[in-house]
Amino acid sequence: MFEILDHTADIGFRAWGATRAELFANAALALESIAVDMSDAREQEPYPIAASGEDEESLLVNWLNEVLYYLDGRRVVMRRFDIGEPAPFQVVGKAWGEPRDPARHPGKLVVKGVTYHLLKIGKDARGWFAEVYLDI
Amino acid sequence: MSEKIPIEAIDEVRFRIPRDERRGMRTDVVVYASREILEQIRKDLSLEQAMNVATLPGIVGPSLAMPDIHQGYGFPIGGVAATDWEHGVVSPGGVGFDINCGVRLVRTNLTRTEVEPRLRELVNQTFRDIPCGTGGAGHLQITEKQLDEVLVKGARWMVENGYGEPADAEFAEEGGRLDGADPDKVSHRAKERGRPQLGTIGSGNHFLEIQYVEQIHDEAAARALGLELGQVVVLIHCGSRGLGHQVCTDYLAQMGAAMKKYNISLPDRQLACVPIQSPEGQAYLAAMRASANFAWANRQAILHFLRGSFEKVFGKSARLTLIYDVCHNIAKRERHTVNGEKRDVLVHRKGATRAFPPGHREIPAAYRQIGQPVLIPGSMGTASWILVGAEGAMKETFGSVCHGAGRLLSRTAAKKGRDARQVLKTLEEAGIVAKSETRDGILEEIPEAYKNVDEVIEVVHRAGLARKVARLRPIGVIKG
Repeated sequence: MFEILDHTADIGFRAWGATRAELFANAALALESIAVDMSDAREQEPYPIAASGEDEESLLVNWLNEVLYYLDGRRVVMRRFDIGEPAPFQVVGKAWGEPRDPARHPGKLVVKGVTYHLLKIGKDARGWFAEVYLDI
Repeated sequence: MSEKIPIEAIDEVRFRIPRDERRGMRTDVVVYASREILEQIRKDLSLEQAMNVATLPGIVGPSLAMPDIHQGYGFPIGGVAATDWEHGVVSPGGVGFDINCGVRLVRTNLTRTEVEPRLRELVNQTFRDIPCGTGGAGHLQITEKQLDEVLVKGARWMVENGYGEPADAEFAEEGGRLDGADPDKVSHRAKERGRPQLGTIGSGNHFLEIQYVEQIHDEAAARALGLELGQVVVLIHCGSRGLGHQVCTDYLAQMGAAMKKYNISLPDRQLACVPIQSPEGQAYLAAMRASANFAWANRQAILHFLRGSFEKVFGKSARLTLIYDVCHNIAKRERHTVNGEKRDVLVHRKGATRAFPPGHREIPAAYRQIGQPVLIPGSMGTASWILVGAEGAMKETFGSVCHGAGRLLSRTAAKKGRDARQVLKTLEEAGIVAKSETRDGILEEIPEAYKNVDEVIEVVHRAGLARKVARLRPIGVIKG
């Protein structure tokens, strides 16, 4: 679950999750769906994915950097994330997706990077939430 | 937002936020703007960000904001900051994710009346030959070993390997290649991301436009650049693609620990910086230069494929000649006079263009009398400008000016209540054929999303930072 946030030059999203694991999964899906039309993406193969950080913020940025690397470097689109409850400053999981096919997953925006600009991660009444801005 | 920040007028086009406005600021912020543009600037966080830049250790001269400034991340886009080469810091955020994002301008030997009857064919051909790369790879595939050579040689590698003409490497900032690039400082991931993308434009505000010379403001300078009224030119706006983006990501990830080591604390994490003379600082600069070289090679490859597109449509007599190529996201070691004293500084230009005045030895001999060509892309479908650098830039802004129109509306706001077909129709009615790889690419970059580029240009012209040479109008647009 996520929504898009406005930014003059770039784009952001706010993601939620009942647990931290769900938040990290939803944040990853937000990034995927900003970059690629996901409607035809299949859960074909598993891909191991993990990240660590020196605090909560850098963990989230590094996690999304991993997702972005798969997307733009390994050319893989991922539509489901199975993540264990993150340990302090560490997240390990498995993602399900398939190699990118421009015909079936049309590109939407090239995401250049994940920024710390106005970055937020924490808990509210609905559970865990995060706000992240991407450079595009 | 920045509406409450007190700002004093120096004159009609210069404004100042004094350094005592906030704790931690080491210098003033100087903003180049008209009163109208300043009101727009105050609506986002860009002045806050320019004040944050003023806290960078070793900053020399003011933190500068150009009239196209808008909110970025860490640095504002349209910001310039020079830091002392021996005792200052380098900030990857002061260069940005798209290292050596820049502009290349090419003149043709064709006129508007010759091109217009076959415009759609030309746009379609160019669109096939030069992918934007939102979905797949480019048409130029090189080996890992060749990529390492590209990272050292930049545009020259392309020319030496048959993707260009010898003069192409001469008419570019730094000759299309920065010294001191080290491919070993570029991660495997960055190379993996960038290698298949060579020869592609990218998305966002990047584009390729077929334009014609609509107005000439300086006859002598236009003649030196080989430009006449009605002549068709092509403007290419793009950068270092995934390679540069990953280099920025990699080094930002290392900066947190390094900043603790060097005892640096800053108001915004995205401003992360390290001493220039530290191993981390030197490693970043070596990787940044390699990325800059990749971007020049990319724009050179695009020019090569573009020559092919023109030849297919207009035959062998079509000639495309590079006018100049500038970078607007970069940090470079330069020598500047500060308070009457010559100093070596690292000039961070984040969304700002170098604008050296007439006589500067870094300008190709053919242009040395008129000043360095400064290429300012406008928003899609409006106008772009050619300027030349002026003495004021050397005195006040470390030889820098603006880089574009500057965004006003967010992407969501730009899309609201509009559909792509309508926008394409409006462009067509204005005589512009546009083609985009994505549906949103056209919508998000509508002219209304940007400040008026003419007003931005007027400010830098009146401030004496650069002089107007020619205004260019698009007839064909290709974007991601």
